[in-house]
Amino acid sequence: MDPLERYLDQVCRSIGGPRPLRDHVRQELREHLHDAAARHRAAGLSDEAAVAQALAEFGHPEQVRSELEATHGHRAMAVVIDTALRWKEGTMRAKWLWATGAHLGLALVIALEAAFITFLVVFIVPRFHKLMRDGIIDPAVLDEHGVSWMPAYLNSLSTVAGGYTTWLVLGAAVLWGLFEWRVKSENKSLMRLAVMGGAAVKLLAVIVLATGSMLVSMMLAAPATGQMARPFAAEQVKAVDTAAEAVESAVAKPDWAAATEQADRASAALTRLTAGPALASLTGWEPPTTDDLRARVKEAQDHLRAVRQALDAKGTDRATAELAEFRKAFAPVREAARREGR
Amino acid sequence: MDTELLKGTLSLLILSLLSRKAMYGYQIAATVHADTDGAFQWREGSLYPALHKLEQAKLIAGEWEDTDAGRKRRYYRLTAKGRAALTEKTAAWAELCRAVNRVLEVSNGPA
Repeated sequence: MDPLERYLDQVCRSIGGPRPLRDHVRQELREHLHDAAARHRAAGLSDEAAVAQALAEFGHPEQVRSELEATHGHRAMAVVIDTALRWKEGTMRAKWLWATGAHLGLALVIALEAAFITFLVVFIVPRFHKLMRDGIIDPAVLDEHGVSWMPAYLNSLSTVAGGYTTWLVLGAAVLWGLFEWRVKSENKSLMRLAVMGGAAVKLLAVIVLATGSMLVSMMLAAPATGQMARPFAAEQVKAVDTAAEAVESAVAKPDWAAATEQADRASAALTRLTAGPALASLTGWEPPTTDDLRARVKEAQDHLRAVRQALDAKGTDRATAELAEFRKAFAPVREAARREGR
Repeated sequence: MDTELLKGTLSLLILSLLSRKAMYGYQIAATVHADTDGAFQWREGSLYPALHKLEQAKLIAGEWEDTDAGRKRRYYRLTAKGRAALTEKTAAWAELCRAVNRVLEVSNGPA
């Protein structure tokens, strides 16, 4: 900035009163300084020296400002800004250190973001697409209004990052080179930081949109994925019933070894039924809920353990009674397996 | 010259100069410099707070004028109130000078 204007900034920035008055004061001082500098130039000084001499004769900016403030008052906000600027001048003597730190920090953020996007594009998005191809994530779920852009966005990201990375990097490098070559502004450092900050924010937006698209897609597809467990659950329910009937037949003979073997099979099928989303796949929009079914299965397991103990003791009556209790406890699960799913 | 002495007389000097004709700030500073042969070593920036105070007190009135060179200058002229104040200040200054001179003469002898 012109030293004369910088001087006027220092003198006039905190003068009170309406803006027209402040503008008048500034204009008046400017005219005086131009006149004084012209006189010094006429006396043989260079432009720079003439302005410096005019400013020196006018007085230290702090003193002139103080006297003008005594006449016109001062602006509170300007005083706050002035205090902040003084603090800045006092603490940021090593400006290059701060500027370098800011540049390095932003460059690190951009590098990390670029690395994470690369990781997404190379490892995560292809797996997401495979899940879609395999039907684990039902593409029909993502056709709904409001979410249909998500798979399209992921496709575009893969296409751009996969096919145009070199051009993007080259384009950025050329723009950067042009900026460093052509821009001569004294605010160049700030401009560079602003561009880097903007790039960091845009890359962050790319990451948030990509991860958000995948997360939302997975969440929307989760109920359909859970339903895929229904045939497995129905198969386990059938296995439990078949084994329980076999236990009854064996107890009636009585064939304790066969009864014990079938009781163990029923127990194993019950255990498989409690794993993963199997029980949840048997629920619908109406009760029983997953928690209800889980409680019933646990009750059935307890009765089956009692059956097992009765078989070990060869107690026909007790085994028969516990089997009846087992069937009663397991009935809601069997009923749920017979109904239509969601 | 002691700038503290000048501070007390700056208003009187400005009013006196403007009684000659309307002047702008730099012109006032240059005239003071010329009329005193550079005896007043002052900060020129002090002139404007003094001018603005006189204007607020309505002793002088300022007005922007465009010059042929495309510049703008704020010319100050003396008001009626300022003229009365000048008469009063001049008398007070003369009385002060006489009193100070009497003390100096008693101390140092007549010049």
